[in-house]
Amino acid sequence: MYVKISMLCLAPICVVFLSLALGSTGFLSLSDLFRYTYASLAPYLGQEVILQDANMETILWQVRLPRVLLTFMVGAALAVAGGVLQAVFRNPIVDPFSLGISSGAAFGAALSMLISLIPLNLSAFVFGVIAVLITYFVSRSGMRGSLVTMVLAGMIISGVFTAFLTVLQYLSDPYKLQAIVQWTMGNLHTASWHKVQQAVVPITLGLIIIIAFRWKLNLLSLGEQEALAVGVNPKIIKLIMVGAATMITASSVAAVGMISLFGLIVPHISRMLFGPSNSIGVLANISIGGSFLLIIDDFSRTLLPFEIPIGVFTMMLGTPLFIYLMRKNAINWNG
Amino acid sequence: MEAIELKNIAFSYGKELILKDLSASFRRGEMAVVLGRNGSGKSTLFNILTGIQRDYSGVLHINGHDIKRLRKGSKDMLRIGFMNQFHQTTFPFSVFDVVLTGRASFSKFGPSKGDRERVEAVLESFDLLRYKDKPYTELSGGERQLVLLCRVLVQDPDIILLDEPTNHLDLHYQIAVLDNLKKLVHKDKTVICIMHDPNLAFQYGDRFFVMGGGKLKSLDGMSKAAIHQVLEEAYHVDLSSAVIDDKMVLIPKSKLWV
Repeated sequence: MYVKISMLCLAPICVVFLSLALGSTGFLSLSDLFRYTYASLAPYLGQEVILQDANMETILWQVRLPRVLLTFMVGAALAVAGGVLQAVFRNPIVDPFSLGISSGAAFGAALSMLISLIPLNLSAFVFGVIAVLITYFVSRSGMRGSLVTMVLAGMIISGVFTAFLTVLQYLSDPYKLQAIVQWTMGNLHTASWHKVQQAVVPITLGLIIIIAFRWKLNLLSLGEQEALAVGVNPKIIKLIMVGAATMITASSVAAVGMISLFGLIVPHISRMLFGPSNSIGVLANISIGGSFLLIIDDFSRTLLPFEIPIGVFTMMLGTPLFIYLMRKNAINWNG
Repeated sequence: MEAIELKNIAFSYGKELILKDLSASFRRGEMAVVLGRNGSGKSTLFNILTGIQRDYSGVLHINGHDIKRLRKGSKDMLRIGFMNQFHQTTFPFSVFDVVLTGRASFSKFGPSKGDRERVEAVLESFDLLRYKDKPYTELSGGERQLVLLCRVLVQDPDIILLDEPTNHLDLHYQIAVLDNLKKLVHKDKTVICIMHDPNLAFQYGDRFFVMGGGKLKSLDGMSKAAIHQVLEEAYHVDLSSAVIDDKMVLIPKSKLWV
């Protein structure tokens, strides 16, 4: 167990350094990285270091580092949100995308891009909440308790918000249109310190809440009556968890757009490696989610001369997994 | 004071009246058994007692408090543990993790060391410690039922409600479960079981009720002959009765033997 936990801590550090070293402007060796780090820290230590290649230093601190941090946060957030939603709704095929949260948040964010009445983050969160609420109540009004109904409802709600988003695109001018389209495909290349600042507070807050209550997810995923059976009212904790998951999803979508199916894939990887308990699962999702999205982003940055939008990449990875889960009967359709 | 008191409870499902004017009481330190046919309203009564079903008329007092006025999880509420008939789970949690969730009402965040020790102890008492790390989803129906019972018991409830705790279980485990429940009764807990087998019920129960016609009929103070007759009417079968080890034993007569 200790080996696994230390792996969880070490993996992200290695991947972060690797991702900082990679890039279209050239590969940096580990000693380069230390040199730049030392150069930036030196003034605080009362020393002066003059670098020959100041351009590279700017690229490292102003382009690569914010991108790496943002990617890690978004990866962790989407993976954790996916794991939480799967546990709360007792359904291994839901994620922020299939419940409509991502589409709702995307619409909210696009709306705020066009008519800047409310802040981007807030607008994304509000519409994410609206989407998940509609999904929940629509699925409850049909066959009660069925897992498929919930996903179907999510798909429909997702479709509705995508339609609204298309209307917004249709109405917007070409310049804004391009921005919106690029952003719906999931783009990390616009990462900046400003975006990191905007996303860091809601995502960290949401993650802390989820980490604190993570053990209770086990109870929730046994079912509502089983919680009542041992004297716990599941409604409050459910609300806290879904609220936190929606908040971190919405902030991620607001920052980098839609990254489909990522929140579905990672919790399955975590469960395969660390077992089904959410006590370790939430932590594993943070570490694996962050590292995995960084690796995917490294590929999308370096594989081809141009960048492949990351949302396209994750969709291509997620679909075979979804089909595999369906075939393996890992999905309990009658729940 | 009675642990549980039901006064004039009525409940209907759609137009069908399932419980009408039902009154009964259950005491501390006693094991009460509810008998009756399938669909007679036993499970409805069970859901009302557990607080799952709240759309009834009449009054349900638990430890002297009206349960409808108490907020779930408030201090005045006695801890009620209950076990439903069957349960399906999606994720293959280990047996230990499933039982550990029974301690969820004791801590805001994660489980303490004491919680873990209690889980080990309760698993030990049912000789299930060897299944500790086994996925719950891979157990047989009877083993799952035992694990769920452990989960209910590990929260140290004051009132234990069980809907057919011995179905799916082999004879060995039936006796193990009922012996364990009896020990809890001696510790002044209130145990209410819905059971199908009157003989097993008579071996362990302190008081008996028969559900029929939407009411709960107490068998308190009845002669053995009267009980015999009440059960024949309740189940619509002819019975032969005998007394073994001072307990009543009933054997049904097949209609084909005549």
